[in-house]
Amino acid sequence: MATFSFVQPSTTDEALAALRLGEPGETMIVAGGTDVLFGLEGRRIPLKRVVSLRHLPWKTLSWAGESLRIGSTLPLRTLERDPDLRRRIPGLWQAVRAVGSVALRHRATLGGNLVRSSPASDLIPILLALDSEVDIIGMEGERSLPVDQFVRASRTTALGSGELIRSVAIPEARASAFLWQRVRPANDISQVGVAVAYSPSRKGWRIAVGGVVPRPVLLPQAERLLSGPFPGAAELRAAAQEASMRVPFATDRRATEEYRRQLVATLLQRAVRAAGSHPSSPGVP
Amino acid sequence: MTFTVRPDADAKLRGQVAFATDLSVPGMLWGALVPAPVARGRIRSIDLGPARAIDGAVAIGPADLARWLPSAIGDAERPVFPTDRIQYHSQPLAAVAAPTRELARRAARAVRVDVEPLPPIEEIEGFDPAHPGPDHPEVIAHVLARHGDLDAAFGSADFVLSETYRTAGVCQVALEPHACIAEIRGEVWHVTTSTQTPFGTREDLASMLGLPEERIVVEGTWVGGGFGGKGAPLVEPYALLLARASDRPVCLALSYREEFQLGRTSLPSIVRIESAVKGGRITGRRAHWRLDAGASLPGRDFTTGYAIGFILGPYRIPAIEMEGYAFRTNKPPLGPHRAPMAPQCVFAEESHMDHLAARLGVDPVAFRRSHVWKEGDRTHLGQKVGPFGLDRCLERAGALAATWRKDAAPNTGVAMGVGFWSTVTGAGGEARLVLSPTELKIIEGEREIGSGSVIRGIVAVAETVLGISRDRVRVDYHDTRSAPFDSGVFGSRTLAALGQAVQKAALVLRDELGKRLSVPADSVRLTEENGELVAVSGRHRALIRSLLTETELAAGGLTSEGRHYGTSGEIDTARIVEGTFYPYTDFTGAAHVAMVKVDPETGAVRVMRYAAFQDAGKIVDLPTAQGSIEGGVAMGLGTALTEETTWAEDGHLSNAGLLDYRIPTLGEIPPIEVHFEEGFSGAGPYGAKGLGEPPIIPVPATVGNAIFAASGAAMTEIPMTPERVARALKLL
Repeated sequence: MATFSFVQPSTTDEALAALRLGEPGETMIVAGGTDVLFGLEGRRIPLKRVVSLRHLPWKTLSWAGESLRIGSTLPLRTLERDPDLRRRIPGLWQAVRAVGSVALRHRATLGGNLVRSSPASDLIPILLALDSEVDIIGMEGERSLPVDQFVRASRTTALGSGELIRSVAIPEARASAFLWQRVRPANDISQVGVAVAYSPSRKGWRIAVGGVVPRPVLLPQAERLLSGPFPGAAELRAAAQEASMRVPFATDRRATEEYRRQLVATLLQRAVRAAGSHPSSPGVP
Repeated sequence: MTFTVRPDADAKLRGQVAFATDLSVPGMLWGALVPAPVARGRIRSIDLGPARAIDGAVAIGPADLARWLPSAIGDAERPVFPTDRIQYHSQPLAAVAAPTRELARRAARAVRVDVEPLPPIEEIEGFDPAHPGPDHPEVIAHVLARHGDLDAAFGSADFVLSETYRTAGVCQVALEPHACIAEIRGEVWHVTTSTQTPFGTREDLASMLGLPEERIVVEGTWVGGGFGGKGAPLVEPYALLLARASDRPVCLALSYREEFQLGRTSLPSIVRIESAVKGGRITGRRAHWRLDAGASLPGRDFTTGYAIGFILGPYRIPAIEMEGYAFRTNKPPLGPHRAPMAPQCVFAEESHMDHLAARLGVDPVAFRRSHVWKEGDRTHLGQKVGPFGLDRCLERAGALAATWRKDAAPNTGVAMGVGFWSTVTGAGGEARLVLSPTELKIIEGEREIGSGSVIRGIVAVAETVLGISRDRVRVDYHDTRSAPFDSGVFGSRTLAALGQAVQKAALVLRDELGKRLSVPADSVRLTEENGELVAVSGRHRALIRSLLTETELAAGGLTSEGRHYGTSGEIDTARIVEGTFYPYTDFTGAAHVAMVKVDPETGAVRVMRYAAFQDAGKIVDLPTAQGSIEGGVAMGLGTALTEETTWAEDGHLSNAGLLDYRIPTLGEIPPIEVHFEEGFSGAGPYGAKGLGEPPIIPVPATVGNAIFAASGAAMTEIPMTPERVARALKLL
């Protein structure tokens, strides 16, 4: 086993200072720690230190009216159990529950999932569909980026070397849904994930798809084919058709491109119908 | 039912049981293997120099063997290291040992291997198996048997249904990878290892190393699941040679990635099955089977000749032909997995049965019952069928399926599959019991491997014979020097075969106690009083202590021995055209029922309910028996739905890890009902039949038939992943 130092900052300043220690590539940043073993495998630069974010005061969750801010190190299990989440943003609740197992969700965090930036992430599609923003803090100050600009490819994001994600902001509650398909349903990497959300302020749908290389994508062309909160069967079929043609799917060891196209068409229609019929939907009194 | 806790459960749940990967001895080195970088090729050179330059490291290659082995050749078929040709990816070309695991791995990476790569030979179809070309794999086993007038059956049939099935290889996925600690103690080469077969491992090591058996001692450890993967040596020869070369104990434990690549996953196969049907009856059946044996281990004849016996099903069919080929390819040596190849053969045969019934428009249960073997029938090889409870299991399973069908929601299907197996193999063994004033010891070479067959099965036999309480019986594990010989824990034989040896030894003890008490032996029971064992017969009571001689007390107790060497049934050799087939030695049947829901737009399958009806002869320990059935079904659901070895074009296993090799989680396991059918007695103690392998056999077929019932998709390939179901549904 590699020998390394373990740094546990308890304030933001300490955390940012810890990131500047040593040479680039020597430090691993850990939030929940669920990806650490993968990070230890096949390293080119020997690991010198692990900086744990667990003692930072970032395990927060706050609603302000219709908007929600989630601290980056909040365990997903805590988010999942928030009494309002399921009712107000059902798609996010479904996506959180799709991540790993209960045991894993007690450790895993939203910030960690974003930085891992997996093409098959179950969280990134719904964050895209909710127009979420990533709040970043660094020595230079704070900035915020839409998730769409933040994620780039697997393990590649817009995060600078001295920066950390402090929180994720979701601007409004939306009728929403997240559906996935896997070989092994209870615990697996999704072959395809489809997130949809209806924005009451923009009066339109957001559709995002995961299981796509290099990263999950929003599908504005498909979104535009849905005219209102309750699209008819023909509109849904058209949007599904557009999505299945548009998404740059590829064949890999989890699914063929052909199967992914079939899945996305089916899951998209189901997700929009599910979101529209949910008690939080704008059409339900 | 009283809930009973297995004697090993507490320690295992607390993590107090040491598996082979947990062991260490002072001063030991860590071993590592140097893997072949290609699946096929010629070795130009192997330079161990850079590894030996690492402080404290030793390295051995093919050139070093002659220094320590009397005959450097050993077993030509299983060379410790290849000298010329690489046969499979990651084949050990050399081995190293160093003071830490990291150093050992660094030393292994430092070895310079120069090879000339050749294209791996992988395809087992697309050519005439009787005449493979130079780019085709070599035939390493061929079996062919015929009976009856096949031409007449197929010529006069109302219809013929011909289908081709494909089955993937599956991994055993034990809790711990293969691991051992080797030590040279004077003349004795000693290895402590995770094995199902201490004596078989000793024999194989002697053959591979060219050493006499008495110079090798094998000591078993607790095994976190064998499932066939730990029946033959794997890491032991390398660890022993490294210990010899370094003069230090050496621990060699595979990583889990190596375990997947080298751990003898099961054999992919292709089955063609054809049935001739006339007047609603099957009048003729042909099965043709191709098996990818990888680089192959001895035993492929057995796998081919034994498993193909399942391919025609347990049914009366007047004219039959079965032919099997095993090919040597550039995969690692593939091996047995719980009920070797039976779930795969039965998947083809039992799916075919439901497809035939659908074509005929008849009830699949009635269709099976009108053909199924009963006691006194002859098998396809002419062997007489013994007590066989399959028809009764079918009847009960059919009734349950009819009930479930009434509850079936849309897109939900209920169906069944059957399987049969043969337990109490011809292999043999001996048992030694020692009755002390306070406990009964069963001296054993084999450790409990997780099924409960040792720690509960054979213990329950002793309990039954002697009326002794379970907490007064202890299994005492010895190494191969002092344990009585036994073939091993495999083939569902432990309770049924070794149990007979224990039963005999226990009866000898009881006879002796009867004599010493001057009462009829069968009236003697053992109870306890103030921590002492007491022999009781009617009004007679005596402390065991008072019944033993001074010599016996000094020796630790009264010793008795029992032996069981199995006898095989006979097959009609006139039916064999070529190759070796094996008779069954005991017949056990099972009928399973599944309710599954199929998503008609994605092909996703959920198993909602499951029930197993098992012909068990006689249950000697109910919780263990139930656990075995539940575990077998759970494991079979993996074979059915998610588990598959996938091989890259360059011949390496591309999903060597638990991320992409998917065993079922509890979330995929539905409620499992277990029903036993007793009364069709087996050869085991009190009529017991082995239950280790039978429960996995019908599962893939049962699930496939339920998918067919739910959606009309006729599945012909396992695992039945959502994408394969989607293709069968013509969604793609």
